[in-house]
Amino acid sequence: MNENFKISPSEINKIKILNQKDKNFRLENLKLFNQQGFPSRSQEDWKFSDINQIFSKNFKNLESFKNEIKPKSINFIKEFDHNHILMVNGKLENSEFKFEDKNKIKIKSYNESNFSINKEENSLINLNNALSNNGLFLEVVDNYRFEKAIIIYNIFTDDLKDNLLNNKNKIILGKNSELHIVEYNINQSKNKFIYNTTENVILNENASLKTINLQANQNEGFFYKFSKGKMKSNSNYASFIFSSGPKFNKIDAEFDLEGENCDCNIKSALFINKDKHQEIKTKINHLVPNCKSYQKIKSVVDAEGKGVYQGKIYVKDIAQKTNAYQLSKALLLSENSEFNSKPELEIYADDVKCSHGSTSGSVDENSIHYLMTRGLSKKQAIRLLVNGFLNEIIGDIKSNSIRKFIENKIEIQIHGY
Amino acid sequence: MLVIKNLKASINNREILKGLNLKINPGEVHAIMGPNGSGKSTLANVLSGKNGYKISGEVKYLGESLNDIPVEERAQKGIFLAFQYPLEIPGVNTNNFLKTSLNTIKKARGEKEIDTIAFLKLVKDKAKELGIDEKILSRQLNVGFSGGEKKKNEILQMKILDPNLIILDETDSGLDIDALKIISDGVNSSRSEKKSFLVITHYQRLLEYIKPDHVHVLSDGKIIKSGSSDLALELEKKGYKKLN
Ligand SMILES: Nc1ncnc2c1ncn2[C@@H]1O[C@H](COP(=O)(O)OP(=O)(O)OP(=O)(O)O)[C@@H](O)[C@H]1O
Ligand SMILES: [Mg+2]
Repeated sequence: MNENFKISPSEINKIKILNQKDKNFRLENLKLFNQQGFPSRSQEDWKFSDINQIFSKNFKNLESFKNEIKPKSINFIKEFDHNHILMVNGKLENSEFKFEDKNKIKIKSYNESNFSINKEENSLINLNNALSNNGLFLEVVDNYRFEKAIIIYNIFTDDLKDNLLNNKNKIILGKNSELHIVEYNINQSKNKFIYNTTENVILNENASLKTINLQANQNEGFFYKFSKGKMKSNSNYASFIFSSGPKFNKIDAEFDLEGENCDCNIKSALFINKDKHQEIKTKINHLVPNCKSYQKIKSVVDAEGKGVYQGKIYVKDIAQKTNAYQLSKALLLSENSEFNSKPELEIYADDVKCSHGSTSGSVDENSIHYLMTRGLSKKQAIRLLVNGFLNEIIGDIKSNSIRKFIENKIEIQIHGY
Repeated sequence: MLVIKNLKASINNREILKGLNLKINPGEVHAIMGPNGSGKSTLANVLSGKNGYKISGEVKYLGESLNDIPVEERAQKGIFLAFQYPLEIPGVNTNNFLKTSLNTIKKARGEKEIDTIAFLKLVKDKAKELGIDEKILSRQLNVGFSGGEKKKNEILQMKILDPNLIILDETDSGLDIDALKIISDGVNSSRSEKKSFLVITHYQRLLEYIKPDHVHVLSDGKIIKSGSSDLALELEKKGYKKLN
């Protein structure tokens, strides 16, 4: 792959096109992508994650589609009761809502319901608009509260190699509805591939969505997810991201707080080892008064790993009584580990409570010594400190079974360290 | 138990211990007193094996040179340091930590590991003995503990890990009178033929509770005077300046 990676318009013919409008939209987006190529460090949003460079270093050629194939056997979660949705390489394979009233849930594949996100200046979204052929559409009607969580098993099959997959998800919660989703990524491929997702989340009045995104197994995947949320009044969004496994992972979340009294909460624990590169980027737009937002990002970076947090809080002039908080803390375990953070506040209202902070540093030698005087080896001491560092955020997960499940995943990662 | 010969230690090109000699026999309690900055905590750190010091001279523990023995092995061999300033370890549950620590040490000694139920009983008993509110044990290690609670937690660790050479670095500082009594009782009940104590303190008061066999004065990196427990009384009256 060279610097100006281009995709031929003929690729679009491989997609099941809905209508002429759809086709034009795709062609137009493809043109935009081809003009720009993959985003690079010259763009502010990609300053610390030059994806053009990363992709050209890792891919010689890229195949944009993939034949359908069945995944190898999957270890479904047995620790707690749940509904499930099975996605294979981004395609909706099946779903089961054992614990729910099925009339209250609409679920479709992307093919049957075209939708898109427009965002200028992000060629990955253009690319996604041009080539998406898979994804999930999920809608919960008004006044329905899920009994049990949904686990979305996101499986990547072992034949993936030098593929570029694009897909789109959309989640709509009706008024007063409530849902808890665990997005559980399982990567069976040992090879490199790119998974480019855009996600659209719409929370109507008084709706509540909790999501947990888990990227726990070590793999060679390159993931980018752009998540655009719209929140109506009194709605509640709480997201927790744990990312450790993939070679590259950038989660780019942009939430518009459009109705009063909503609460937008994003927490993340990153454990980045080897030569992995992970970024969390959040943009919270306070567009009306009386909303709350909270982001807390804790990252552990080891070896040649690189971590990035870019966070922006925007408060519109009319958005009085905004309460916004943002904190990033990074723990560097090696001299070669790197963490960059760029917290930003852009505030046009005068009666607001906003704070942000960012720290990064290595493990405290005195703390290591203290633990070692109690018989622990240096490695054990560091593991304990790392665990403690991440625990501060994982401890906030309310569901015992889910928290234990995640703690266990983290334990495995840290023990591999 | 412990023999120190001509111990010198420097850090950041500054010599802090300047040729220190000390011999502690099994079952003995030695007190070290001395002005601020004289090197008492440095001695404690060096004995614990802390990195970063340039060291010469000899330290022998149970007949074996400690020079190349790393921190955790010293702990496993039974050297325990109660810190002057115990560190706060966020996110680490005190009970879990204590259990990990005890089992690591047991394993290194070739003993059977303790199970959770037996461990919880052990901790409960020892905590009660020391008047420690059990609730703090399910909190993060030392995080938000009061000064006295931190010190008590150090003694609790000592009780649970059951070491042979115990170094108490100003464990009495910041304790109220009741706590001082509780901690002293904790130490006294641990005294035996096999255990030795090195008690660093500024206050003669502690030595009324924990009766030392020997008292030493450390000044500018050297022991300048040694004597019986009367020496502590003399220091209390005259201060360090008039010693020489
Ligand atoms: N890392 C270091 N770098 C430079 N100087 C140090 C370092 N650590 C300790 N010192 C110095 O060494 C001297 C002895 O310190 P130490 O903590 O051992 O004193 P102390 O006798 O325990 O005092 P106190 O009674 O106040 O606890 C002090 O002057 C201190 O500033
Ligand atoms: Mg001291």
